[in-house]
Amino acid sequence: MTYFGIRYVFLFLPIVVLLYNFVPKKIKPLLLLIASYVFFYIKSKKLIVFLILSSLSIYLAGLMIKKIIHKRDEIIREVTKEEKKSIKEKFKNKKKLVLVLTIVFNVAFLFYFKYLNFFFKVLNGIFSVSGLDMTLKLFKHLAPIGISFYTLQAISYLVDVYNEKIEADENPLKVMLYLAFFPTVMEGPITRFNDVKDKIWAGCKVKYQNLCFGYQRIMFGLFKKYVIADRLNIFVKLTFKHYMDYSGITLALGAIFYTILLYMEFSGTMDIVIGTAEIFDIKIKENFKQPFLSKNISEFWSRWHISLGLWFKDYIFYPVSLSKGVKNLTSNIRKKWGNKVSSLIMGAIALFAVWSLNGLWHGAGYTFIVFGYYHFILILLGNIFEPTIVKVCEKNNIDRKSGFYKTIQIIKTTILVFIGELIFRAPNLTVAFGMLKRIFTKFSLNGFKTEVLTLGLDISDFIIVLLALVVIIIISLLREKDINIREKISTKPIVFRWALFYALIIAIILFGAFGPGYAPVDPIYADF
Amino acid sequence: MKNVVKTILFVLGLVVIINVISFLLIPKQNIKKYGMLKTAKYEILAEKENTIDTIVVGDSLVYSAISPMEIWHNYGYTVYDCASPAQVMSENYNDIKVAIESQSPNVIFLEADGLFRNVRKQKWKNYYKRQLEYFAPIINYHNNWKKGIVNFLDSDSNINIYKGYKYITKVKPVTKKVQKKYTNEMKHTTTGENIPDDNLNYFKKIIALCNKNNIKLVFISLPNMKTWSYSKHIEVEKLAKEYNLEFIDFNIDNVLNIDWKKETKDKGGHLNYGGALKASKFIGEYLKNNNLVVSHKNDDDYTSWDKAYMAYKEDLKKNNN
Repeated sequence: MTYFGIRYVFLFLPIVVLLYNFVPKKIKPLLLLIASYVFFYIKSKKLIVFLILSSLSIYLAGLMIKKIIHKRDEIIREVTKEEKKSIKEKFKNKKKLVLVLTIVFNVAFLFYFKYLNFFFKVLNGIFSVSGLDMTLKLFKHLAPIGISFYTLQAISYLVDVYNEKIEADENPLKVMLYLAFFPTVMEGPITRFNDVKDKIWAGCKVKYQNLCFGYQRIMFGLFKKYVIADRLNIFVKLTFKHYMDYSGITLALGAIFYTILLYMEFSGTMDIVIGTAEIFDIKIKENFKQPFLSKNISEFWSRWHISLGLWFKDYIFYPVSLSKGVKNLTSNIRKKWGNKVSSLIMGAIALFAVWSLNGLWHGAGYTFIVFGYYHFILILLGNIFEPTIVKVCEKNNIDRKSGFYKTIQIIKTTILVFIGELIFRAPNLTVAFGMLKRIFTKFSLNGFKTEVLTLGLDISDFIIVLLALVVIIIISLLREKDINIREKISTKPIVFRWALFYALIIAIILFGAFGPGYAPVDPIYADF
Repeated sequence: MKNVVKTILFVLGLVVIINVISFLLIPKQNIKKYGMLKTAKYEILAEKENTIDTIVVGDSLVYSAISPMEIWHNYGYTVYDCASPAQVMSENYNDIKVAIESQSPNVIFLEADGLFRNVRKQKWKNYYKRQLEYFAPIINYHNNWKKGIVNFLDSDSNINIYKGYKYITKVKPVTKKVQKKYTNEMKHTTTGENIPDDNLNYFKKIIALCNKNNIKLVFISLPNMKTWSYSKHIEVEKLAKEYNLEFIDFNIDNVLNIDWKKETKDKGGHLNYGGALKASKFIGEYLKNNNLVVSHKNDDDYTSWDKAYMAYKEDLKKNNN
């Protein structure tokens, strides 16, 4: 069962909504927890044990930290100012021990399921190169669905309790529901306990308007997936699989289509996730904010998979920047080269940590590592050259706020994103660099003309994709202007509204790329 | 209350729109006679009357292994696959019953694995899938929008080009585990596998139906390393002897010489296109050698099959992924 499947949209979800509405208010959150575990069990069967273990571990660790904090506060009240510092330090170490052990416990599962085989492959490569007759046997196992997402949520809960941003919750079921909540467990967004804790446990009745708005959002997600992503998948699959047979321009189109496909698939999933939560009156923060209107890579990552970017910012970037080692290093540099260089280096170190982990988070493979460092280099270069660019623009009277300048920046960023996603999609680095090489060296317009219609899509497919993208672009531009489209539509006469919804549903059924000849995209982020 | 009425009206409106669009998109050759919904549910009804010589009935093994268009191209015989996933005998019976409303086949091949399937569980699942297709025929035919609005009302448009076959080129080689289990299952034994009563009763009904309509019924067991066994083989063989039927078991001695490393789409469960070419050739040869049907090549009444073959080849080329 996937979020895009008939079984989820027309069977699982309606049953949960019906049951949720009929049970007493107190039972409603419990029903959500049961539904979440049923959903998880359908996807991962007995691996649900690992989700439960993660939930219980952070629940218990949270309570332990809470107890340590209370004890510290009690003692501090009765001591002198001089003693306070050493007592605080002592309790901080205790808290830290609980925090570190629990994080290690949770990350160990993630490492085992996602990275152990890759680690063994790397070691086997080293053994082979160094002539050692040794091979580590790879494991054959499936990972619990969404382990990368719920593990990050688990860490955020614990760190926030440790930093005393939130108080550990006494109710184990609430913490369990926070990690397992069925709309977000598989592909995020990575929510924060403070943002959702009240709503997931409120047990509000399903309102008619929420139900309508929720399903409208779900339908929009299905439209993105079935009409655009699944259609482009045919072209993308062939160009990446047989890249040596195609000219550079066709391969470039393959990379562009893959980026669009990825955006449509992932943002479409988010539409379904947010729409589902909306039905239960639970507001989940947006995970995308018109990423293709970004003027630089740094901005792109603040608009694309927002919850992941924020997680890395809060739990990797800041802790690394503010760590003792980095502070000492930058203060030495400051003395020698001044403030600008020291802050640049401090940022670079933290960025390096973020992008090393970001790359690995996306997958255990060299392409993902290169994908991470590719963005690290681009952002770092952006930071280094920003002052120079500002000066050059000022000297030449170039208005950086003009529409033309912004458009050029958006195009530049989008091209860089296409290259990054090509590396991300390629099965290995040989293919990634092979494709990039061909794009720049075999750029034949004639080749393109003969190839483009042999890659599974005919003219009518291209027209449908184009029209669907025009719709998406118009919606994106309106959203960028902070116009709430659904609110606007809801004020229109019923005939207009219904015509619009009918058109959306019929477009999915009629133009959806399913049935003979189409290969649907597997949920891309669910594997992470 | 107001909201409930609104919801009902919205759904009703949607049903009407879906049915109008379905009408435009589904094949129309026999639509007047059998009605739109029934034609959409049973694709064979959309074929021109009395043009199908051979029907292959069964489960996913059938639509993965027998490509009627390949048989048409090489032999000129008209074959149709009436199959759906995990089909049980009651559904096989129903498919045959519906098919002979518009066709007079000489031969019916019946896939034997369905005899042993858990009836209750599968019946429920298939029932709902069929009902969905019944009420929303657009699902099966939605891609016909590509043929253009001018063709929608043309009775010869929207011909079915696969005739029940499902084209898949994916290769997932058989694993050692499956191979080992299969070797074990195919060891000679004298104990037959149990056939559920419901399946047996419907099998008898199929025999009666074929006898009444003068149709030759042939048992087949298509290549399948995952669920077939020797105990099933002897049980079907026993049944075939009892009712004087021919039984072709493709699993005994790998009759088709299937390369399980290349010609399966799911580690030995079903054939892919490569395997289907071999199975389809066998069926064509069998029909030819036994003089069971005649070739319709160059017959003016069958030009739509040539058109379908051209479209089929085009589709294979396009979707060769």
